[in-house]
Amino acid sequence: MSAGAEASSVRLQRLLSLVPWIAANDGPTIDEITARFGITPSQLAADLEVVWLVGLPPYTPDALIDVVQEGDRVWIHFADVFSAPQRLTPDQAVALLSAGASVLALPGADLDGALAGGVAKLAAVLGVDAAQVLDVDLGGAAAEVLDVLRTAVRDRRRVHLDYYSYGRDTRTERDVDPYVVHAEDGSLYLLGHCHLAGAERRFRVDRIAAATMLEDRFEPPVDATVARIFQPDADDPRVVLRLAPAARWVTEAYPVESAVESPDGSVEVTLAIAAVPWLERLLVNLGPDAAVVRAPDDLAHVGRRAAARILARYR
Amino acid sequence: MSAAKLERLLNLTALLLDTPRPITADQIRSQLEVYPSDEAAFRRAFERDKDELRSMGIPLRVEKVPGTMPAIDGYRIPREEYALRDPGLTTAELAALHLAASAVQVEGLPATEGLLKLGGIVADGSTSDLGIHVAPLPADPNLAILFAAVSARHAVTFRYNDEDRTVDPYRLDFQRGRWYLSGYDHARADERNFRLDRIASAVESGGGSTFAPPETTVPGRARGAWELGAEEPVRAVVRIEGPAVRWAVQHLGPDQVRSVDDAAIVELPVTNRAAFRSFVLSFLEHAEVLEPADLRAEIVEWLESIA
Repeated sequence: MSAGAEASSVRLQRLLSLVPWIAANDGPTIDEITARFGITPSQLAADLEVVWLVGLPPYTPDALIDVVQEGDRVWIHFADVFSAPQRLTPDQAVALLSAGASVLALPGADLDGALAGGVAKLAAVLGVDAAQVLDVDLGGAAAEVLDVLRTAVRDRRRVHLDYYSYGRDTRTERDVDPYVVHAEDGSLYLLGHCHLAGAERRFRVDRIAAATMLEDRFEPPVDATVARIFQPDADDPRVVLRLAPAARWVTEAYPVESAVESPDGSVEVTLAIAAVPWLERLLVNLGPDAAVVRAPDDLAHVGRRAAARILARYR
Repeated sequence: MSAAKLERLLNLTALLLDTPRPITADQIRSQLEVYPSDEAAFRRAFERDKDELRSMGIPLRVEKVPGTMPAIDGYRIPREEYALRDPGLTTAELAALHLAASAVQVEGLPATEGLLKLGGIVADGSTSDLGIHVAPLPADPNLAILFAAVSARHAVTFRYNDEDRTVDPYRLDFQRGRWYLSGYDHARADERNFRLDRIASAVESGGGSTFAPPETTVPGRARGAWELGAEEPVRAVVRIEGPAVRWAVQHLGPDQVRSVDDAAIVELPVTNRAAFRSFVLSFLEHAEVLEPADLRAEIVEWLESIA
């Protein structure tokens, strides 16, 4: 990028960090400076030309910042006024501490390593105890499971999973080719090819009780993108529910196949049902905010029957 | 941007950082010699320059010049408010921060500028990535101001659930995909949690006196939706059995699990009864609320309305 094309604030920000850094380091090389500050040599040259003309009244040579270049090394002298970079703004502090805190909160994170040290030092200059003021949870997992999955993804090795399927309320064992571990909406997911299902599946990592790496290797698809949670089967039964306004969140949380609005704020949705316990949970959760409008005979009273079963415990 | 403007802004910053006493706009104009001579044009240019510096978070203060009568406005940048104390990061620590910041981003809050202030982008040869793809964390317009208030220990005011609140902000949590603020609610004289996306106004930070840090210790574990509400806290006891037990125990953490055989007895702090109900019912007939009696009765009433 040519030096002239950058926004003023970007260049100014950079110079307020660049000058103190070069001044504090004894003749860093152009390569190191451009790498650290993400600029090209020509951008650096243009920046240093401006720095030449910066100083204090009366702006005589002895009152200007001195930039010396010898070979590929650069020195900055007489820049005492810029001996320190600007403090982090709250935005910048939040961005960095959140990133650090979230990685440190991952199961199995090294709490004595470089990141922990860096976060602690950063927090100290910000005047906070990072652990006390900020907690970022990307999702749960058993540390050993997460460790196996990350290694398996990296090395492209198949894994054997002991998995609790929430939708079906069952535990299964399955072999999976792990494509990617993905963190979203406060949970960790494993996306991969499930050999039991014969198709791509997404698994909640915190429902994987155990994971072992197998010898087999695999080739991930070219674009192992993060797919939606749920690929409804054409043969799955469909249920139509009327949702009260309070239950509208269902349309955003689940892949409803259709949603018909009513003037009173309620909405009629069609859902594919892959497993009965999933529908039972949904209806019991929504309570009076959902009613079954249309369903195959065996699903029509699923909510009522589940509620009755649960009530039996309380009586 | 023109090199001339960049040079002027740098010289302005240097001048205001270096001066021990506030200096007037006229003094600035005569010292820098780069502003337009026309009074109005100078004022406009100077105002824009001040705005630009302030927009970067530079603490450009307006203070009365001592010894002037009537008092004249002067400007300076207090060095003690501007300068970053050197955190003393090693290359490895800086590289680790960069790695974390590349993997985990908060929407709309680039970490690059912060990293440049800390010494720039460095990569540690050993690990090139986290091994986990992280969706960007949602931003919130009040996130930065709340963090500043948490750091400075200043009370904040905001509108929440149709009520104006004054809160001592203790901590920010990102849980279950949302940002929460924990703090001491003055009106209720108790600690509460607030979802940032439900704060119905711009948060105002009180400034002035600071509050003492709370004594409550950090849970150090993931918190469920049932404990992230703003209701009066209640201690619930739940019995869980069946195929989901192992997952539930793993999920809830040891300090909430009272005993485990083929069933688990768990004790949960509840400040959000709807979320608690949702959690318990997700186990269908494999879970039962044992205590307290009124919460158990609420569950029964709910189920009776469906059955």
